[in-house]
Amino acid sequence: MTWARRPSAQTTAIVLALAEAPATWRYGYELCQQLDLKAGSVYPILMRLADRGLLETAWESEAPAGGRPPRHLYRLTGPGRVLAGELAAAPPASAKPVRAAGGVGRRPRPEGA
Amino acid sequence: MSRTERLGRLGGLAVVAAAATPFVSLWVLQMNAARDPLTARARLDMAIWMAVFATPWMLAAWLLWRALWRQAGARLSGMDGPGWLLAAAAATLPADRRDWGAAMAAELAQVPDRRERWRFAAGCARAAVLPPGGSRAAVGVAGALAVAATAATVPATGAALPAGRVFAPALVGLLGGLATLAVARSRRPGGAGPGSAVAGLALAGVAACVAATTYYLAEHPSYHRLRPPGIAVSLPPVTAVVLAVALAGCLWLALRPPRWLLGDRHARRFGIAMAVVLVAGFVLASRRELRESTLDVGMMDYLFLALPVVLLAGSAAAAAGRSFRSGLWACAWATVLGAPPLVAAWLAEALRWHQQRGQLLLDGEGGLGLDANLVGANLGDAIWWTLVVLALWALPLGVLGAAAGSARARRRRAREQAVLDQPVPGSWGGGGGPRSRRL
Repeated sequence: MTWARRPSAQTTAIVLALAEAPATWRYGYELCQQLDLKAGSVYPILMRLADRGLLETAWESEAPAGGRPPRHLYRLTGPGRVLAGELAAAPPASAKPVRAAGGVGRRPRPEGA
Repeated sequence: MSRTERLGRLGGLAVVAAAATPFVSLWVLQMNAARDPLTARARLDMAIWMAVFATPWMLAAWLLWRALWRQAGARLSGMDGPGWLLAAAAATLPADRRDWGAAMAAELAQVPDRRERWRFAAGCARAAVLPPGGSRAAVGVAGALAVAATAATVPATGAALPAGRVFAPALVGLLGGLATLAVARSRRPGGAGPGSAVAGLALAGVAACVAATTYYLAEHPSYHRLRPPGIAVSLPPVTAVVLAVALAGCLWLALRPPRWLLGDRHARRFGIAMAVVLVAGFVLASRRELRESTLDVGMMDYLFLALPVVLLAGSAAAAAGRSFRSGLWACAWATVLGAPPLVAAWLAEALRWHQQRGQLLLDGEGGLGLDANLVGANLGDAIWWTLVVLALWALPLGVLGAAAGSARARRRRAREQAVLDQPVPGSWGGGGGPRSRRL
């Protein structure tokens, strides 16, 4: 599935961040920290990407320590990776600066899907 | 006492106090507004009346809190402020986005710093209250149409129906705003709905109410006030806005109900039945009163006599659905579906009362010998009394009925379970041990 027009700078940053290690599952808060975006921006974008079949979602299979609830995990689907490739190749759009994907922040942890 | 119990009791006290506050405030205002100094007896009488009206509300508030705390107390008591904020916002998510609320809550549990938790929860709350829905273009078109329709209504009403210059734009603006919100929150056009019966009843009720109101505004925009004598506007601005908010709210709740109101089919059926009984009962009682009664009492007695119907219906719905929630949602549906047609029925019957007796429908004020056209006064009466009766008395009584019905269902379940748990002589095992099946 393709985007009718070029995605926003935040969407582009999230797609590129997810494309850094496409096989790795990522967390919402982790993306917020890495890209310095608010949850109010990240979650709607994740919802939209999932609606369009660009994002695969799953729940953590192993319960985290400390009785915390299992987290929701995200990674790009095939069409999502295609979109990431297109966005990476296209010239950057001028928009609100977003911290570059992969610049700061933790490396994704290879936790199981 | 555990933290959950302590918070449960504190919360119960807080909601009871909150329910009593409007009534206490009203009593204080009445005391201060009295022109002549009131005797202690008069103050006491008013306090007793306030207590009569406040008690069902306080009991209903406590029952609602108890039901909520029973279900979610253990989870909620373990939360801090950000957790509460996110839980409240996630409860507004549509059914097909429910997983995202759980996802945000699970993520919040991993955020250690208090300040950062507030920041993260606030962002998530924004995303939960306004999740991405229809395309931005569709939202833009819906919003633009809403603004254009409201803007066009102002001059059109001013020219064609001057008495409706507040009501019409307020209703069109609210409906347009809610339609835009529906497009913004919905992924698919339509989405999960309450069914054609509810939608049809709600649309018919609101259409009938708007039609009756428009007729009054066109034919009886003002009336002769008896006390103090003079000419009064039939639909003052505040009443017009209240009616527009009530109609738009009823329509929104009926067509785009929150997910917690959708699940219970029993409640919906009982709610529809209650609404139909309330409106049909009103019309039948009005006709009977006109035909048989010689007393000038109006229909006020029906408003009081109909309340036990709500109590019994709430109880029956809870017993049938075997839960407090079923009774509660049945009362909510009855209010949402019953209020607009009740106003319409009131206005239609009021015309009949005026033709036959020259009286107001509410209390029989006026009369054929009196050379004063009072018809327009029915408009304000219909709106305020319907809302007051349904919201002030019927809803809390419905909650009490639901509690009674669910308690009866619980007792019945316990009796059935006790019968199943009784030892059966000669059964397998020889000892007549309890049957293992649980209800």
